[in-house]
Formats: sequence, C-alpha cells, structure tokens
Amino acid sequence: MTDQDEQDDHRSRQFPVREDMVFQHKVWRFERVGWYVLVLLVILTLLGLFSRGPLSDRELYSSDGSVGVEYQAFHRNGSANAMTIRLKGQPNAVLEVELGGDWLEGFEVQALQPPPMRSAGAGQGMTLWVQADERGQASLYLSLLGEGFGTYHSRIATPGGATVSFNQFIFP
Amino acid sequence: MDSVLRAAAMYAALMLLFKIAGRRSLAEITTFDFVLLMIIGEATQQALLGDDFSMTNALMVIVTLIAIDVGFSLLKLRSQWVSRLIDGGPTIIVEDGKILRGRMRHARLIEADIMEAARSSQGIETLEQIKFAIIERNGKISVIAKE
Repeated sequence: MTDQDEQDDHRSRQFPVREDMVFQHKVWRFERVGWYVLVLLVILTLLGLFSRGPLSDRELYSSDGSVGVEYQAFHRNGSANAMTIRLKGQPNAVLEVELGGDWLEGFEVQALQPPPMRSAGAGQGMTLWVQADERGQASLYLSLLGEGFGTYHSRIATPGGATVSFNQFIFP
Repeated sequence: MDSVLRAAAMYAALMLLFKIAGRRSLAEITTFDFVLLMIIGEATQQALLGDDFSMTNALMVIVTLIAIDVGFSLLKLRSQWVSRLIDGGPTIIVEDGKILRGRMRHARLIEADIMEAARSSQGIETLEQIKFAIIERNGKISVIAKE
C-alpha cells in the first residue's frame, strides 16, 4: 500500500455520509486491544484463575507434616469445589482437628466424608474428631459451595500445635 | 437489590463485549450466529436470575434492563458524544469503484462480503458499478450504484 492510499484511508469524507475517521481508528484500536484482552482471559481461565486449574489448585502442609490440606484458592459464587484435609497421628487414635477462621461465613459445607465421630462448635469454626487408621492417617473430604464474595480466611489446627492457614477468594 | 445489580452488571459486560466484537458481529444472522446467540442467551440467563426463580425477580431483571435501555436512548438524544460512543458512525469502504483496502482490513471484511451485499441489494455485478459502499452503524453494508 502506498502512502497516498494510506492518507486516503484516514481522510474523513463528508458525502454521502459524514465520517469521523479519527474516532473510527480509535474504535478499531479498541476492538484490537479488546481481542487481546479476551484471549488473555481465556488463557487465564484455562490456567485456573477462576478456580480449577494450576493457578487455583493448592496444597499445604504444616511444618511437622501432621496436618495437610488440598484446596482451591479461587472459588466462584454458586459453584462447589472439593477440599481435602489430611491428618497424621498415633495409629488407631482419635484425632482432633479445629477448622477455624471466617470461611464458614462464605462457604456452605455440602458434604463431609467420612462423617466425624463427634463435632462441636469452636468460635467462628468447628472442631471435629475423626478415627485414624492403623498407620495413623485420616482424611476428611469436604465439598464447599461458595456463597459469599471476597476473601475468606481459614485456619486448620490440631491440639498438638500444628497449623496451616490460608485464604480463599470467591468470585461473584 | 441484587436483581437490579445483576441486570446492570450483565448489561454493562455484554455491551463492552459486543463493542469489542465490533459492528459486524451478529449483524447478518447466519446459522452459526444463531446458535452462538442462543448459547450467549443461555449462559446469560443463569447469571441474570441466579437461583431465584420467583416472578418478582424475573420482572425486576426485565424492568432494570428496559430502564437502562430507554435511559441510554434518552441520553443519546441529548448528547452527540454518547450517541457516537454507543452506536458508532458509518464508514465508507468503496468509493467510485475503488476499495479502500486499509479500512476494509480494519473492519475485518473481504471483497466477497462487499460484492455479496452489492448483488443482494442492488443486483450489481462488478466493483466498478459501485459508487459507494458503506458499513452502517448496525454493521450492514449498504451499496449505492453508479448512475
């Protein structure tokens, strides 16, 4: 394309319609940049920015390894995600774990498996007692339905002093 | 409260998305566009209503959407600037039988699109017979034939 043609493209015509090519070029630039943003959003979604993906899958263990948790850092309002709590203690013992923080205000616990032997309220959270197997391990599987919006803090602790704490974000 | 916020947020998001998509999108409904439109509708419906299927909620969402729509059209009457921002302006892409290639490329059109519009609206056979071809604000191509 020659410079002459380039000039011609940018000149605003007054007939048969009144054009504003300066504005039109801004619109086209907006469309182009917008397209890049859409592609970026698709890639981020695939990576799990809006839950379920490498960016969102998290795994945490306490320093002595007696409490561990697998969770999603990002949730969406109205969708359910899994959370797994792993406990390690004496063989065949009853293990106590406290789920604290304000997370129960943002999440509804839809399922909790296996059912704990006993449970009790503990401040904002709750305390659960679960039976460990012969290797001293116990796992709790939770299904969490995101109901709030924003950041919620969770803290999982055992009486032995092992603690993991983390934040979860719920998108609207 | 949240039905109004939901409707307003969805209106704004869809407005922005269709501005990014440009004038051409969904202007000429092909079979695929029709399917796309239905999928967008289905996806939007959930977000608009949430888990509240009451009649009040449905009505409030519709009332909000229509109120925003009428509000914008009133605003467009008063302000040239708003009108241009929302509806855009027409662009000439063929002038005296000559295609303005740079513009055509920016508008994501090819020559076949222009000739299709020329044939269907004016029965025009060649590019030379076109005096003006204009992309209208709604994305349709209107063609003016030479005398």
